[in-house]
Amino acid sequence: MTAYVVQRLLLMLVTLFAIITLTFFLMHAVPGGPFTSEKMLQPEIQAALNAKYHLDDPLWLQYLNYLRGVLSLDLGPSFKYAGMSVNEIIAEGLPVTMKTGALALLCVVALGVPLGIVAALNRNRWPDTLVMVIATIGVAVPSYVIATVALYVFALRLGWVPTFGLDDWRGYFLPVFALSGFWISFIARLARSSLLETLQQDYMMTAKAKGLKRGTVLFKHGLRNSLIPVVTVLGPVVANLLTGSFVIEQIFALPGIGRHFVLSITNRDYTAIMGITIFYAAVLMVMIFIVDMLYLVLDPRIKYRADAK
Amino acid sequence: MTDIEIAPEMWAPTTRNGAAAEYIAAPSLTFWQDVRKRLWANKPAMLGLGFIILLVLAAIFGPMLSRHTYFEQNLKLSNVPPLFQTYEVTDSTGATTRFFFNSGNLNLYEVTPSGEVAGLLRATKKDLIKKQQQFKFGDKQVVLDTAKQQLSFADGTALAPSGWQWNMSNVLGTDQLGRDVLARQLYGARISLTVAFVATLVNFFIGVFYGGLAGYLGGKADTIMMRIVEVISTIPLTLYVILIMVVFNSGFLSVVLAIGSVYWVDMARIVRGQILTLKQQDYVAAARTMGASTPRILVRHLLPNSVGPILVTLTMLIPSAIFIESFMSFIGLGVTPPEASWGTLTSEAVETLRAYPYQLFFPAAAISLTMFAFNFLGDGLRDALDPRLRT
Repeated sequence: MTAYVVQRLLLMLVTLFAIITLTFFLMHAVPGGPFTSEKMLQPEIQAALNAKYHLDDPLWLQYLNYLRGVLSLDLGPSFKYAGMSVNEIIAEGLPVTMKTGALALLCVVALGVPLGIVAALNRNRWPDTLVMVIATIGVAVPSYVIATVALYVFALRLGWVPTFGLDDWRGYFLPVFALSGFWISFIARLARSSLLETLQQDYMMTAKAKGLKRGTVLFKHGLRNSLIPVVTVLGPVVANLLTGSFVIEQIFALPGIGRHFVLSITNRDYTAIMGITIFYAAVLMVMIFIVDMLYLVLDPRIKYRADAK
Repeated sequence: MTDIEIAPEMWAPTTRNGAAAEYIAAPSLTFWQDVRKRLWANKPAMLGLGFIILLVLAAIFGPMLSRHTYFEQNLKLSNVPPLFQTYEVTDSTGATTRFFFNSGNLNLYEVTPSGEVAGLLRATKKDLIKKQQQFKFGDKQVVLDTAKQQLSFADGTALAPSGWQWNMSNVLGTDQLGRDVLARQLYGARISLTVAFVATLVNFFIGVFYGGLAGYLGGKADTIMMRIVEVISTIPLTLYVILIMVVFNSGFLSVVLAIGSVYWVDMARIVRGQILTLKQQDYVAAARTMGASTPRILVRHLLPNSVGPILVTLTMLIPSAIFIESFMSFIGLGVTPPEASWGTLTSEAVETLRAYPYQLFFPAAAISLTMFAFNFLGDGLRDALDPRLRT
C-alpha cells in the first residue's frame, strides 16, 4: 500500500518532468521569438529584451533555468503583460476557476448520481425514459452551444441572470450549468448502467433473502458497489471541467485561468502558455491521484501493490 | 386448478427420425452475419447510420451543387434571415413593390415575386433624431420607425404584412459578411467530417500499431510501452492539442495532426488488451509453428480477431474528434478563415447572437445531430458485437 503510493508519487514526478520538457521545447520550436510582432523593434531594443529575459542564452541553459524556476515554484515573467509574472496571472484567475469548477463538480455528483439511481430503479418506466432522453441530449450538445443558448434565453431574453461576470451570486448559474451539463448526463448514464448491473448480482439477492430492509439493501449493498465506476471517472471529470472552462469563461467573460489561457494563446504569450499548461497538468495529476486513493477507500476489495499491473 | 384437456391421439409415440433430429431449422450464421442482423434490428443505430450516410453525401456533393460558394461575400445582403414577413406597397400606377424588414440591421430589402432577395432599398431621407427613415415607392411614401420597428404610410396608417416568405436566394439566409449560410454549412460539414475521419484514421494506425506491438511482444517491452501510455494519459490532452496548434499555427492540416497525434492512447490500450488474450490462442501457436513471421501473425491473425472493440472505439472517436475540432475553432485555433467548420460557424454566429439568434441554430443543430448519430451508431455497434454488455 505505502509502496504503491510512493510509486504513484514517483510516476507523477516523472510525468510532470516529461510535461515540463515537452512544453518547453514545443514552445521554443515556435518560429519567431516572443518579441517578433508587426511593429519591428529596433535591433538594440530587441537585443536588450533578449538579454533581460535570458533569451540569448543557449537553449539548454534556458531549459535548466526554467526547470530550476519551476522547482522553486516560479513560472517566470509574462512576455506580454509587462511587470506581471505567470504566477500572478494564475493567482488572479485561480479563485474564479476554482469556484466555478468546484460548483460544477458538486452539481455533477449531486445531480448526476441521483438521476442515474432514479432511472435505474424505474427501469423502462417514464422516469427512466426522461432521464435517458435528457442525458442523451446532454452528451450530444456541445457545452458552448448550451452556454450560448442559455445566455441568450435566460440572460438576454428573460433577464433572470446577469449576462457576464460573477459580481452577483446569480451569475454562477449559467456558467456552472453549461460546464457541468455534459458530465451530469455522462454520470447519470454511467450510474444507471452500473446500478442496474449491481442489482442483478447474487449478493443483492442474498441481502434481500436475509430480510434486510429495502433501504439497507439498496444503499449499503447496491449503491456502494455501483458507485465505484462513477468514482473512477471523477478524475477525468475534474480534468475536463478545468479544460472546459476555456470556452465557458470566454463566453461568460469570467476572469478565470481558462480565459487567461485563451488570451495568452491569442497573444502568443509563450511563458504564460507554458506556465499555465504546467500548472493545469500538475493540478490534474494531483486530482487524479486523490481520486485513485478515494477509490481505494471505497472498495476494500482492491489492494494496490507496487507490482500490481 | 383447471384441467388441461389433451386429446388421446396426442399420447401416441412419435416416429423416431434420426435425420430430422439433426436438421437445423435456422440457417447457420457467421459472427458477422449475426452482428449485422442485430445491428439492423436496432432502430436508433440504423437512424444514426442513415443520417451519417446522408451527411457524408451532402458534404461531398452539396458544395458542388450549391450555386453559392462558401467564400463569396455580398455585404449588401448581410444577415438576411431564411424566413421573413413581407410587405407590399402598390403606388397609383399599379406597380407593386414587395419587401421585408430586417429587424437586426434595420434595413428594407426588395423581394421578387418568386421569393428571391433583389437588393437593399435605399431610404430617401434619414431622420436620426426622430429615428425615422423614409422610403419612396413611386408616389407612395413609407416611414420606418427604427425605435419601434414599425412601418407606416405617410398619413400614419400602419403597414400590414402581406405574408411569410421563405428566402429563395439564400435558403438558410446569409451571415454577417453576406455569405450563403447553406453553402458554408455544407462546406463546414466537409471540413469537420474530414478532420474527424482523417484524425481518427491517424489515431487508428498509431494506436493499433503501438498497442498491437506492446501486447504481442509482452514482457519488458510491454511494461515500458504501457508506462509511457500511462504517462501520456495523465496529461490533459486538450492542452496538448492546443499547444501543438500554437506551434504549427492554425489551419486544416495542423488540426488533423494535433488531434491525430494525441488521442491514440485509448485505442492502444484496447488493442493491447485484446492481443494479450488472443495471443494465447492455439491458432497463434499453430501459425507460429508453421513459420509465420511476427508481422504476419499480427496482421493476419490477431488484428482481424480484435476488430470488434476497435470498431466501437473508432465510432466513438469520430464524434469526439468533431467535438475537439469545433472546440478548437471556437476559441480561434481551428481552420483559418474564410474556410469554415462547424466550430467556426458557431463562433461566428455567437458574435451576432444578440441581433440574429437564429444564426446559431444551424451549426449547433448540425453538430448536435451528428453527435446523436455517432453515439447511437456506436452504442448499437457495441450491443451488436457483444450482446452481453447490453444494459
